[in-house]
Formats: sequence, structure tokens, C-alpha cells
Amino acid sequence: MHAAEMRIVPATQEPGLVCCGGGALFLVSAGGCKVEVFHTQQEECPLICRFSTMGIVHSIVYSQIGDYLVTIEEKNGATYLRAYTNWRYQAAEKKRVGVRLLGHLMRGQALHGTPKEQMEIVEIPLSETPLCTACCSITGALLVACAKSLVLFSLKRQSLNDQLDALDFERLLILYVSGWSPSQVALCGGYVAMQTELEVLVVKLENLEKICASDEEHMQLRGDVMAAAGVTDADGKKEPQSPFESDDYFVFPKHLEMLGDKAKDCGVSLTLEWTGMDTEANDNMGVTYILYRRFAPDFFQGCTVEETRLHSLQLHPMYTGNPDVSSDAENSDPACMFCFFSLPNAGYMYSLKNTVELISAYQYPEKAHQALLCNEFLHVITQNALQCFSVRCSAVAARVEDPYIDTTMKACPPFTMEVSALRIQLFIGLKSLCHDGNHIVLLTAADIETKEETERATRRSIKSKEQNSMAGIFLAVGINPTTSPALESFLSRSFLSKKTSVSKLKEPSESGHGWNLYVISTVSTLQLYREMVEYSKRYEQTSPLSQNYVHLLSEAHLLLRASLLCSPNTDRAKIQEAFQESCAHLGDCFSRLEKRDCHLALPYYKMSGLSVTEVIQRNVAVCRGPAPDYGNGFLFFLKHSLYEETMEELSEETANTVLEIFSKAEPGQLPYVVSSSFMKNANPVCVRVHLEHLELSGAPSVTVSLCKAAQALRLGDLHYYQQQMDRHAEMLQVYGFIEEPKLLVHRRGKAMVPTELARHLRDTQDGLLVAAVVALHENSKVKLEEAELFFQELCKDSAESQSIPQLLVDFWEALLVASSQESIVQELLFHLTSVYIERIMCRERSGIKALKTAEDLINSCSHYGSLFPWLNILTPAQFNITHDHQEDLQKLQSLLCGPTLDVSSIVPLLEQLPDEDNTGLSVHMLCATKLGQHENAIEKLLDRCPHAIVSYANHELRRDKMALWWLKLFPELCERIRLSSGDNGVLLTALKETLAVVAMELNPVEFLNLIPDDGTAHFFLAHLLKCSQKHLLT
Amino acid sequence: MAAKSSLLKVILLGDGGVGKSSLMNRYVSDKFDAHLFHTIGVEFLNKELEVDGRRVTLQIWDTAGQERFRSLRTPFYRGSDCCLLTFGVDDAQSFLNLGHWRKEFAYYADVKEPDSFPFIILGNKIDVVERQVTTEEVQRWCCDNGGHPYFETSAKDATNVAEAFEEAARRVLALEDRQAHVMPSDVVDLRRKPRSSSRCCL
Ligand SMILES: Nc1nc2c(ncn2[C@@H]2O[C@H](COP(=O)(O)OP(=O)(O)OP(=O)(O)O)[C@@H](O)[C@H]2O)c(=O)[nH]1
Ligand SMILES: [Mg+2]
Repeated sequence: MHAAEMRIVPATQEPGLVCCGGGALFLVSAGGCKVEVFHTQQEECPLICRFSTMGIVHSIVYSQIGDYLVTIEEKNGATYLRAYTNWRYQAAEKKRVGVRLLGHLMRGQALHGTPKEQMEIVEIPLSETPLCTACCSITGALLVACAKSLVLFSLKRQSLNDQLDALDFERLLILYVSGWSPSQVALCGGYVAMQTELEVLVVKLENLEKICASDEEHMQLRGDVMAAAGVTDADGKKEPQSPFESDDYFVFPKHLEMLGDKAKDCGVSLTLEWTGMDTEANDNMGVTYILYRRFAPDFFQGCTVEETRLHSLQLHPMYTGNPDVSSDAENSDPACMFCFFSLPNAGYMYSLKNTVELISAYQYPEKAHQALLCNEFLHVITQNALQCFSVRCSAVAARVEDPYIDTTMKACPPFTMEVSALRIQLFIGLKSLCHDGNHIVLLTAADIETKEETERATRRSIKSKEQNSMAGIFLAVGINPTTSPALESFLSRSFLSKKTSVSKLKEPSESGHGWNLYVISTVSTLQLYREMVEYSKRYEQTSPLSQNYVHLLSEAHLLLRASLLCSPNTDRAKIQEAFQESCAHLGDCFSRLEKRDCHLALPYYKMSGLSVTEVIQRNVAVCRGPAPDYGNGFLFFLKHSLYEETMEELSEETANTVLEIFSKAEPGQLPYVVSSSFMKNANPVCVRVHLEHLELSGAPSVTVSLCKAAQALRLGDLHYYQQQMDRHAEMLQVYGFIEEPKLLVHRRGKAMVPTELARHLRDTQDGLLVAAVVALHENSKVKLEEAELFFQELCKDSAESQSIPQLLVDFWEALLVASSQESIVQELLFHLTSVYIERIMCRERSGIKALKTAEDLINSCSHYGSLFPWLNILTPAQFNITHDHQEDLQKLQSLLCGPTLDVSSIVPLLEQLPDEDNTGLSVHMLCATKLGQHENAIEKLLDRCPHAIVSYANHELRRDKMALWWLKLFPELCERIRLSSGDNGVLLTALKETLAVVAMELNPVEFLNLIPDDGTAHFFLAHLLKCSQKHLLT
Repeated sequence: MAAKSSLLKVILLGDGGVGKSSLMNRYVSDKFDAHLFHTIGVEFLNKELEVDGRRVTLQIWDTAGQERFRSLRTPFYRGSDCCLLTFGVDDAQSFLNLGHWRKEFAYYADVKEPDSFPFIILGNKIDVVERQVTTEEVQRWCCDNGGHPYFETSAKDATNVAEAFEEAARRVLALEDRQAHVMPSDVVDLRRKPRSSSRCCL
């Protein structure tokens, strides 16, 4: 934090207590009975109003929600809890102030004509003395801590007119705390944090947010406003003894940290009593332990019990998403919740949501009076200094918001990154600190005797002192200002700017009192960011590869993230721009690193919005010289960008540069680099030279040869091409393609673009091409659909008329031979049967030969079965169709004869195939048979091609279909012979064959029964004889 | 606790319409309104003044006198340093009710010894011609009930108003001085002491 502007608040009396919020600063004068309110947003911090309290104020807290103040006051020995509402109406000091009890909201129509524009004080009766209070920044609810219990009030708002809200509170619940009196409490959402001298406990009240958030709906004026307030008496509970207190000694346990559910064993027991009006809510309420910490004074560090005392307990919510867009952020659940508390020498920040964990521990260089956590910084005051530390809120929130962080897509500095001190400013006698938006308010008060002396001394020494401590801080984050003239000049400059701003105002000594109130506005995030980048640059020059340089840039990056996450911004676009720039800086950083985290260059560059060409230029610019030494991060980035196929096409110059880079740094990568589509503008002669160089250096490989061949094609040097292609057997070349698929195909989004080499192979070595793509598929380099797209694209402009190019069918057939994946097989079978059927139906042929014949397939692939013998009778080879046609028919028949094809799945396809000729008939017969419709098939065959029936029956009517011989075939034959008019030789032969089979299968009686009554005895006699002979034998 | 005496809580009690709000307005703002609304609940105003060379802040509490507002006003009696019992000289009933007001105050303010508590009696509206209560009547009542001072005022004409409030301040200060002599250690520090058990750590 760098002071941009420092103003002095024109308070007239020495403030005792200070608090701020909502653009207002509240001072309780030392006497304790008067509150003065000043504008913090306006130049001169003018007075807004001034009003008296009803007693001496011991504590004051402001709630932005509801714009109310809560005080603990004392008058004549009694302690009161009061809420000051509509205080802005006190601008005219001599205005009456209304006073009422909690629950006595009485602005009913019946009682009043018009609402009064007047301040109202709500007195909140309690059965115990209040010790401290806290307000929820989300709902405006109020938490009051007493010695034995915490009481929670929800805020009730009733709008009286456009400007005027009447506020009231409802006593929602009481939380009895055993053996524990908090010295400080905090409330946010459902989280309740409490702190004693050395212990912190955080719990969550389940479902509380919902109840509190809906206060507007619950708000209704009760008819009996005059009834006495329903004050619940909350004493008489017997607390169990704390387990840490034994009878005689108080045992101080050592440091203890209990996270999440474990915290319930901390020994502090809580009992919840619901006192709200909505009794249903009661059932859903419960307390969950979130965090418990206990500290012990460290006597060896010279601490006393009094010194080791916790302070500055805070709950800090953080929302994600663009705050400009989600305007209802206030009502929604915050994405992150942090808890901060502090010992004199150390501060702790925990994250409470998701997992409960310690995010940061701060070590203060000197004893801190008070600390304040906000989204971007932790402010700490010590006796004489305001210190500012970095925080990790945005690093935690970023990860909640974006699941892609910590992948190759996006990155963010880790929240475990050491926090650093960013800035120190000196003040004399700092007493208290508060924070509102981008303002910090500081109260200083010098001790009376030493006051003037110190001031004089300070003014003399402030320059050197401030410079020294700042130098110290920069050393702490790894910056040595003495080696960096610019930084030194920054130190004096920042001092000067502070001095000028102060000198405009009254100097403390001139104002004649020992105290002062400063309002300091924080520098805009952008300005601060630029300064940090500036230092990092100076620093980089002196020691470029230090982690501290990365650290500083990471801090700057987190600062911008915090700003994007949290504050609605007028200059959001500018911050977004700076954010991308910071990503680029970090990308540069990591690209130069050797090992650790160098891979982060990739996500940061991606987030930077820089093109690959720009990234290359940035890195080349840095690594100029005779032997440029590129960092691993940069090479990692380049490799990934080339392989992920997400980048732009490089110009010839840049592409040649990339060649140079890899030739030097990682020559082994060259084959992959030159095969990238983005490199296609690289000079082919250049590429060839680099590849030959690679081969000479002892790395000859199939892939390199293939690359060289591909480049030769670009050069039109077919001779050289052939040389390269002849160097290795096709089988080995397939391995080469597996190693670098981009030799054949480039991806453009979802599209598959065949390379020049692939086109050349299509025309010259289609077998190799198909084999290579099958190999790519089997090695998971391409998916089936992608391979299909590839072939479609490859054959798009060929002379083929068919919708499915032959090369693709070849690929399917080859893949069916090779693949063992069941799902792929089924898909291929379906593709192929439909192609075959289509081709059988339309007789036009392109004349392109298939790579594999039906015979090849039957011999090499189990899915293609041997053709059943009866098919040879039905569709004999050299049938009256073309060869190609015959091939397709045989492939289809073969698939139907094979074991794999699920016939039922292709039945719909078959419907289009007519069975007028034997071609179609054969296919339909095969299907019917496969589906078990043998009787149907027998009839069809007898109708259309009876001379095939015996062959069919012999092959198909077996085992469980045996009975069809006598139950179906025999009667059919008899019937047809009887009806036939003469030439029935074929049928008679078939009948004889049938009888021969039946005679062997049936016993004589059965056989006799079968013989038709009108039959000629001698025709059957021989068979009957055979039948009885067989049965005598058995 | 020097601050204790600087803020003095003075409360106005009395029947509805006797002129409590008018008295406060006259004293603090020097204004008079002939058609004032009845007060609802409780309101207060601060007035700084100097009595016998001491600067004090009078916190003047105006209450609703009507019966129906009783529950709204009684919680705020506590902590009063002085009570101004007010009636209208043109309203006999308001005078007769003074005793009830005194009792209600003593009860809710939790006054231990009502006899030594500084009450001041104000007979307002003396500008009105038709008086129903005579000065003597009131003086007798004051004598019988502990010797309270009595002021006859008119908020309308600003008669005796400042005098009455200044007397209230004077009475409170006098009482405090007396108590400070009797019990010098009267001051109670309410801020909690740190947990005492931390004395004997192991
Ligand atoms: N003539 C005359 N009229 C007065 C005087 N003081 C008050 N009034 C009138 O008496 C009426 C009632 O006066 P308030 O001051 O409202 O009486 P109050 O005691 O505050 O009444 P509550 O608020 O109901 O308790 C108003 O109309 C005043 O103008 C006075 O000294 N002389
Ligand atoms: Mg009134």
C-alpha cells in the first residue's frame, strides 16, 4: 500500500474510540458521550453530523447494512446496549432523538401521521452485561457477547418512505458458551468467531443465512406494539467445567490447532436456544465447529502473559464473479470466508469454506497493536508504523471460482506462497486503525510529555528512517535497492509525495494537540500494479532468475485478481488489460526458468492473450546472441502449442526461427515440429537441411525419412521423395506414422485435413495409407469418425461417384481385420453391410478395385465366414454379373455366414433389397435362416430354386432343426410333386434324398406313419427296408 | 471518572398535555408551538450549559404522558439524575396525579431512596387566566412530600423555564459532590478484567 493521499480529519476533540464504514468516520470523543461523524470520501473530510449518546461509550461498531451504530454504554453504573439508527438526520444538532425498546417499532399508521425524520435509538435489554459486539457485513445481523452467552439479533427493516427505514432487531437465538468469556467476537453469514486472550473458536450456525437474509419478508408490524418487549431471561444455565481447569492448578496447554469437525473436541461446549418468532426455523438450526486455536505465551521469547494476547479477530467474506454484473452479491452466499486473528508478533489467516486450513501466517517485525484484513492487503499498526502486507484471499478465491486453474489452461500463484511486507509508513504513537473501502483511518496520539520532542526529532529523521525501513522491506522480498538506482529514487519519491501531501495540511504540532486523525486513501490498484512491475523490471536486470523476481510479479498478479474479483470497477477493462499483461510477465518469467515450475509458462502465456508469434518474439528478443539459450519453460510452451494444435499459422520467418530454436535446444523434437500444420510456411529447403543435420548427428529414423519425403513433395523433388520412401519397409513406415500422425493428417478444430503426403500416398500407395490409418486408430491416435472424415476429405474430389469412397471401405475392411474392440467391430459390420447392400442394388461401379477380395477377407478375418455350399448353387461364381458386383455380394454373404454379424440389426437395410433375382434371394435366405425361419426359407427355395434345396437342407436342417426334414420338407415335397404337372424330376430327386435322411432318423413305425396314403408302395419300400435294418442294428 | 458528571439525565414526567414537550422546546430551541402533537414514546435533546462555573450537558428526556404509552416510556426512567414532575395549573387532575407519577418513577427508575432523590415540581401554563390549582396548594404538597423545589412556568411566555432546568442541573451537581465526599470509591470500572486464572501458569 502506498499512500496516495493523506488528509487530516478536522475533529475538535480528542477521539477515544474510532470506527468507520459506509463513507463515514465515527469518533467518540474522549469524554465518551458525543459522536462526531465525518465524510471520508470528500476532500476536506467535512463533518456530517454530531450527536450525543445516552451514556459513556465503551464500544462502538458500525454496520453498513442498515446504516446503524451499536454501542455499549454506561451510565450511573449500569451498562446498556444501544443501536443508533437514522443518525444522518442529526445534521441539525438540535433535533429531538427518539428512543424505544427493542421490539417496540411503533411507526404504525394509527399512531403517527407522517414518519419523523429523526434519529432513533433502539435500546436492547439484556439479562447479562454485554462485553463486545459485532455486525454481519452480509445481513446486518448483530451479535452481542456476554460473559456466559452470545446473543444473536437479526436486523428488521421497515421502509417508511423512499429514504427512511425504521430499524428494529429480533432476538433470534442465544448461544450458551461454557467456561468462556469472549473478549472479541465476529459474525459473518452463518459464521461466528470468538476470541479470548489466548483462544479462538469459530463455529457455524447452520441455516442462519437464510433466516437472516429474508428479514424483509418476516417484517410485519405486530398489532400489540404496546406490549412489553419479550425479553428472554437467559441465566440459570449450569455450565460444565472446562476440561482444562483442574481443581488446584490452571494448566496452560501448549499451542493447539483443531480444524473442521475435530474442533468439537476443543472443550468449549455450546448450547443453542432459539428465541426467534419463526419457530419452524428452530428445527433446522444447529452448530458446527469449524476451527479452534489456542496459544501459550512463549516465555523464552521474553513474552509475558499480558503481552501474549489475541486481538483483531475478523471474519472476511469474499465473493467471486464479476461484481459489476452480479449486483445481488450481497444477498448471495460468499464463495470464500476467511478468519483472521493476531498475536502481538504474528497474524493468522484461515480459510473456512470447503476445507478449513491455515492460508497465511504473518510474522511482524515488531509488536502489533492492531491488524486489519481486507481483500487486497493486511494492514498492521505498531507503535510507530503502519505496515502493509500482501494477502492470499484472491489466490484462494480464484481456485474456488475457476476449476481450470492449476491445469495447462490457467494458472494462479499458489495461496501457499509466502506473504510479503509491501510497505511501511512511519507515524508517531499509533493508537487505532480502521478501514472503509479504499480508505484507512489512523488515530495517533503521542504521550503528553514526550510529544513535542518526538515530533521534532521525527521530522528531522523521518526521511532517512523511512527510507531505511522501506529498503529493509524490499530486501525482505528480495530486492536490494542499493543495487537498483531506480528503486532508490522510488523510495525518495514516495517519501516526497507523502511529504507534500502532509505539508498542505496542518502539521500535528501546529494543531496544538498531541493527537491526529488521518484518512489515507490507497493508491489505485493499477498504479500500484505498475509500480510493482517497475521494480520487478529493475530487479530483473540485476538478478534475473531469482525466485524473488517471480514472487514480486506474482504479488502484482494477485493484486489484480483481487481487484477483478471484489471491487466493482469503473476501469475494469483497464484492469483486465493489466491482468493479461501480468500473465504475459509471468509467462516470460517461467519461460526462462530451468526446472521448477517452468511448465507454468504455458498457462500464463495462454491467459495473456498473446499469440504464439508474439511469445516467440518476446523470448527471442531476450535470448539474442551467438548461442541463444532458451529456457525450458519456453520450450515447454512451444512444444505444447505446436502439439495442441491451438495456435496460429506461423509466418515463414517465425517458423524458421522455431526450427532454429529446436535445432539447437532439442533437435530430437524436429520431426514433430516440422510436421505441425502451423509450420507449413517454413522454408522446405531449410527444413531439409535441419533434418539432414539431425540424421548426421546419429539419429536416423523412419520418422525423419518420412519427414524428409514430405518436404521433398513440397519442393516437387519426386526423386528425393522416392529415395526417402524406399529406405524403409512399409511395415516400418507404418510405425513412423504412428510416431507422428501429423505426417498424414492435421486437425482444424473438428475437421481432419489430409497432408500433401497423404494425398500422394492415396495415388501411389493406398495400401500403405490404409494400413497407416488403421495403425493410428489401433494406437488411439485417431478415432473412427475422425479416420472416416479423413478419408472422406481425402477422396472428396476424386472421380468416384459413390457417396462412400472405396478407400474408406478398404479402411473399414482392414480395420475389421485388425480390430478386436467389440463396439468398433459392430459399427464396422454395420457400415460394411450397408455399403455392400447399396452396391449390390445399384449396379453402377466406379471400377476402382478394392484392396482386399472376398477371399482375402474370408482367409484373414474370422468375421467373414466361408460361404455355405448351397450359395454356390444359388449364386455360382461367374454369375451373370460383373466381377466387382460379385465381390461385394460374396463379402456380404460371407459376413452373413460368419459368426459375428447380428442379423437382426441389418433387417431394416435388407428391406430395400429386392429378392427377384438369386442375388437378393441368397441374401434373404441367409437372413431368414440365421433368424431361425427355416420353414419359410424351405418354401421360398422350393418355389424359386428347388435344385438347391437338398444342399440347403443338408447344411441347415441339422441338430434341433432335424425334424424339419419330415415335418416340413417331406410333406412340402410330397405336396408339390402331387400338384406338379409332369416335369418334376428335380423334386423327385429331392424327395429321394429326403427319404434317405428320414429313414435313418425315424423308427419304422414313425416312418410308416409318414408315408402318404396315395403313395406308390415300391417307391417307399426301399427306404422302409433301410429304416428297419438300421433299427434292428441298434 | 470525571466524565460522569458532565452528562446529566433529566426526565420530564406528567399528564398528557401539561406542556412537557413545550417546556423542552422553549428551553432548548426557544420556540413555542400552540398546536403540538402528543408525544409518542420517548425523545430526548441535549443542552449544554454552565452552572456555577461548571460546564455540563443536560440530557433532557421528554416522555409521553398519555396512559396508553406507559410501556414505551417506563423502561427509560433508569439512570435519570433528576425528575421534573410537571402539571398544568389550569388542570387540577394533572396536579392530583403528581403522586402517581412520583411513584411510577421511583418504581421503574429503581430509586433506592425516593426521599433524597432530586425531584422538581413544575406548574406550567401560568399565563392561562383560569387557574385550577393555587400556588399554596402546590407548596403544601411539596412540603409534605420531601420538600421538593417548585417552579411556576409558562412555556408560552418563557417564564421561569431556564431557571427550572438550571436548578435541576444545580441539584444534581450538589448531590454528586455530596456523594463523592461520603464515598470516594464510588466509581465502578465496568470494563472486564482479563481472565484472572492466567496468574499461575505452568
Ligand atoms: N397557554 C399555554 N399553552 C401551553 C403551554 N405549554 C404548552 N401549551 C400547549 O398545551 C398543549 C400541550 O402541550 P404539550 O407540550 O404537547 O404537552 P405534553 O405534556 O408534551 O403532552 P404529551 O406529549 O401528550 O405528554 C399544546 O397545544 C401547547 O401549545 C403554556 O405554557 N401556556
Ligand atoms: Mg409531549
